[in-house]
Amino acid sequence: MSWALVFEQLLNGLQYGVMLFLMAAGLTLVFGIMNLVNLAHGSLYMVGAYLAAAATQWTGNYLLGVALGLAGTLVVGMAVEVTALRTLYERDHLDQVLATFGLILFFNELIAIVWGRAPLYSSLPPWLQGHIKLFAGSTYPVYRAAVIVVGLLVAALLWYVVTRTRLGMLIRAGASNRTMVGALGVNIKLLYTVVFGCGAALAGLAGLMAGPIYAVQPGMGELILIQVFVVIVIGGIGSIRGALVGAIIVGVVDTLGRAFLKPLLGTMIPPTAAEAAGPALASMLIYLLMAVVLAVKPAGLFANR
Amino acid sequence: MRARLILWGIAALLLIALPPLATALGQPYYVDLARRILILAIAAISLNLILGYGGLVSFGHAAYLGIGAYAVGILGFYGIANGWIHLLVAIGASALVAAAIGAVSIRASGIYFIMITLAFTQMLYYLGISLDVYGGDDGMRLKSKSQFAGLVDLRDPVAFYYVALGVMLLFVFLTYRIVNSRFGMALRAAKSNEARSRAIGFPPYPYRLAAFIIAGAMCGVAGALYANHTGYITPGLMAWHQSGEMMFMVILGGMASTAGPVLGTFALLLVEEVLKGWTEHWQVILGPLLVLSVVFFRRGLAGIFFKPDA
Amino acid sequence: MLEVKGLCKSFGALRASDGIDFHVAEGETHALIGPNGAGKTTFINQLAGTLRPDAGTIRFAGEDITRLPAPRRARKGLARSFQITSVYPGFTALENVALAVQARSGHSFRFWRDARRDPALTGPARQVLEEVGLEERMHVLAGNLAHGEQRSLEVAMALATRPRLLLLDEPMAGMGADESQRMIGLLSSLKRRQTIVLVEHDMDAVFRLADRIAVLVYGRVIASDSPEKIKMNEEVRRAYLGEGA
Repeated sequence: MSWALVFEQLLNGLQYGVMLFLMAAGLTLVFGIMNLVNLAHGSLYMVGAYLAAAATQWTGNYLLGVALGLAGTLVVGMAVEVTALRTLYERDHLDQVLATFGLILFFNELIAIVWGRAPLYSSLPPWLQGHIKLFAGSTYPVYRAAVIVVGLLVAALLWYVVTRTRLGMLIRAGASNRTMVGALGVNIKLLYTVVFGCGAALAGLAGLMAGPIYAVQPGMGELILIQVFVVIVIGGIGSIRGALVGAIIVGVVDTLGRAFLKPLLGTMIPPTAAEAAGPALASMLIYLLMAVVLAVKPAGLFANR
Repeated sequence: MRARLILWGIAALLLIALPPLATALGQPYYVDLARRILILAIAAISLNLILGYGGLVSFGHAAYLGIGAYAVGILGFYGIANGWIHLLVAIGASALVAAAIGAVSIRASGIYFIMITLAFTQMLYYLGISLDVYGGDDGMRLKSKSQFAGLVDLRDPVAFYYVALGVMLLFVFLTYRIVNSRFGMALRAAKSNEARSRAIGFPPYPYRLAAFIIAGAMCGVAGALYANHTGYITPGLMAWHQSGEMMFMVILGGMASTAGPVLGTFALLLVEEVLKGWTEHWQVILGPLLVLSVVFFRRGLAGIFFKPDA
Repeated sequence: MLEVKGLCKSFGALRASDGIDFHVAEGETHALIGPNGAGKTTFINQLAGTLRPDAGTIRFAGEDITRLPAPRRARKGLARSFQITSVYPGFTALENVALAVQARSGHSFRFWRDARRDPALTGPARQVLEEVGLEERMHVLAGNLAHGEQRSLEVAMALATRPRLLLLDEPMAGMGADESQRMIGLLSSLKRRQTIVLVEHDMDAVFRLADRIAVLVYGRVIASDSPEKIKMNEEVRRAYLGEGA
């Protein structure tokens, strides 16, 4: 177990964390402003991955594929908001959970009808392949490094928008007092659709970035969504900062756990037991972490509401 | 009250008459189908206690279905086939896990609770996948059905059917007594108006936790029966799809009513059967149907017949 | 019976309670008045336990309850009614009050016996409903009761817990003239057996019922005295009564 390996896994954790952040930011924005629990957020992630992969194949150009995928997800998101979600803003969380659950079934099956259930292959352009050199002779995949960079840039952009622009002010004001913002002449319906669209775009971005690394198949959204829930519970709902911190923590803990828990256990207990317990414990790690955080800080680390 | 009893009586009679009818018509498959529905109705009844009456939106109730099933499977794996032990372990394990999860989750407010229960169940799902000795992702075959020596042979499909029916009716009755007892009233009051409950001296937490544990244990029984029914136990039983489906069984039928979960389970699973017959992509139809049912159909099926309990 | 010292509560920059001292002797009816926004409900919430004060102490019957959560205070005999009606709308009036009776009757971990037909609960509940004048309506769903009846139900639920101290937060809020008179009548009869803290805007009621009146303005008690003295207090007139009592 070399330091280079640990460092590489740390970077992987950061990369996964960044993707979790994109998802969590979208989800927490929508919940914070519109008080909407949206389980279909994972479906938008999946839509992003599929649309980008399909567009790249169709146009032959990676960047064009990415742009189309993002735009497509944005459109799908806003369409869903206008048709299905508007009626849910007034309803309680249970109804929102159930309705968006129905949306998940719909999207998963729709994707399966169009593209089948087998994992889809996402190709990378030559300039994103290969490795870059890091210190001490270790290397890291270019693509994953790009994901980290893009993710952090988006985080900075989000922070800027929410804290420094008029839109961000409206967003934060909408979060605390809907009717007041409406009374000020701001078109609440439009604001909601825009916010939801942004959330959808963030999910779509995470999805298309995930394509080349993880399997692109129906149901991929839900697997990451549940981890996004863990991020939000740990970070505190309604807080972008909490989403970032929570996402990095979850990403790093999960990745390091999967990589090192089994060998680590192997030094303490007989290898056959570690063989079974290692992966089992590693997959449970972030949930146990969530339980610990809950016991100590029931509202999350950076709770806003 | 009389009307309800009469309707229940009719329903029970119909269900009792189903196996001989099905055999007479040469369609034993329906006994199988009805049995599966009855077992899942038991799970829905347990969820109704905490969701319908308690107001706890638990998105992880399928965990106990899985625990009950794995209890039977794992005991059978090690050669223990005694049905009473199966039941005891299924109930005990479910209650313990429910206590652990509930203790941490119930203090959390609405939206957190939903996410947390989902997350913990997913954790158990991953645990199930990673335990290769019990089949891991592929699951395990049940070595032998639970044996209740001398009492009933679960290998007889019709006898098993009547066991499922009996347990379901028993749980309906038990739920009825629980929700109208002092405990049930305290639980329902906490759902109706938590601030008011605190003001008169009811802390919601202990009652909710107790209800959560009871519901988990009841669902464990359903899980044990389910393992016997399918003969195969996979972690997929605990997948969040299953939890979502269970919630729909409760909601569709009408929350906070004793008939609701039974009606809802029958309705949902029969609709699924019909849709499955049409196309392998039945979920693309079911999804929007579910969305529409939430948007338009607030009171559920039982709300058509009865005024819901508070 | 109730001793509050230096109670402070701030919401950001707003000082809702600014060092409040408040004493209620056993058997007395102590009113609390003040303009809207003075912090009366915040004060009641801190007494009842739904809000934690930033500083200060609350002693009830000699015991420090400052850190005690609301359900525990209720069990010690501190009952409250809410300014905005807060009953169980899906349950009947009888069931509402029976729940309050149940709350004071030990733990509720009984799973079998039907609580709706338990005379140990329904008996005392009926009595309380008679006292507040709702016995004709006891099988009506609380959500379907008229506003004035709901306010009476609020008081009934507080009474049903057999409290040592009643905190009544604007029991007559939104009531018409007739209903108000009935409520005043009820409260007069309660005066003899209960210690009451009464927050009210209805000056008629306040002056008829109160033994002592405290005036709260911007989170501070500017005067605390007998009704006659309060009527003549210059500061009070300026701050509050002058606005039309």
